[in-house]
Amino acid sequence: MGTLTKRMDVQKAAEDVRLRTLARIPRLLDRFIYLASLRDYNTGLYHHEGLAARFSPEVACEALADCHREVYRQLLSCSLEDLVKQMEGYLESSHSSPHEFLSVWKGIEPYRVAVPVDTDSFSAKFLFSNFRIALAIVEERLAAPRCSAQSA
Amino acid sequence: MIQLILILLLSTAFFILLYVFVRRSSARAEGGAEALVEARQALNALQDNLLPSELVRRIFAREDLNFVSSSASGKIRGAFLRERKRVALSWVSQLRKHVLRLKQFHSGRSRFYAQLDLRTEIALALSFASLLFVCRVLEAVFYIRGPFAAPRIVGAAIAVAGDICAASELSLAFLSSPAPAPNLAGGGSTHAGTI
Repeated sequence: MGTLTKRMDVQKAAEDVRLRTLARIPRLLDRFIYLASLRDYNTGLYHHEGLAARFSPEVACEALADCHREVYRQLLSCSLEDLVKQMEGYLESSHSSPHEFLSVWKGIEPYRVAVPVDTDSFSAKFLFSNFRIALAIVEERLAAPRCSAQSA
Repeated sequence: MIQLILILLLSTAFFILLYVFVRRSSARAEGGAEALVEARQALNALQDNLLPSELVRRIFAREDLNFVSSSASGKIRGAFLRERKRVALSWVSQLRKHVLRLKQFHSGRSRFYAQLDLRTEIALALSFASLLFVCRVLEAVFYIRGPFAAPRIVGAAIAVAGDICAASELSLAFLSSPAPAPNLAGGGSTHAGTI
């Protein structure tokens, strides 16, 4: 009975995250990075003070993990075209220099640590592969105006 | 001399048969916990990670290739084809690996847990053989002609793999059922369970 009640609380908390927080974040990629940023690198546990105060730290953690998995699956289902658009939007909203952003994302590949903890290696491999191609396309698009400006 | 050789051959064949028979009858269900866990893991990996239709559709989506061809340079198109080929080869290799695990379970221990009739067992054996063959064909096609060359064969592989998963689910259903050791011959649930 306790498990059932807890599960219901987790579902309620997850719905709360979807409606109050994730709905305000426009892109899947941004939601994915946001949810990953709520997770402690050492323990793998998610922290959100507001949600923990409304429910409990444990329920909040499970709800955020559920949302993270859900967003991850949605991101996996995105077409490459959609992923490129999302990456361009994310780059714009990050307010960092495109060159710096691309060099970090290509070099350190920070998205590798953003996947949910229990992700299977195959789907992660597929997502990373799509990220690499999307990054290459974004980089090429950013370089294209520069090249045409130089040649003019 | 010929008679002696014949007798020796027949007796050798007899002893081999006897050995196989003794080995099969001495095998015990309770010794197969590891095999059960491995089979359940293989089934979960197939159902949750490799066969979801949305994921497979995405891996082999021609629209991605069309998008890259129309909006990126030849260099990126080449990189995309290499990446997707690697993913497709990894997909088919993992599919084959998990199907092999299920095949080992079915040929070794599943009869302790599920009463599959002879017809079902033969159909299952044929499905395993055809799927393993199709996996090899897919590996060759992906390797030579790329990941987008055989959508129909991919579809066929997924259909056979789905049948195998459904049959394996029956054999492993008691793991997720509240009642111990049910009679599985008459059919049952096909949803994935957990151990």
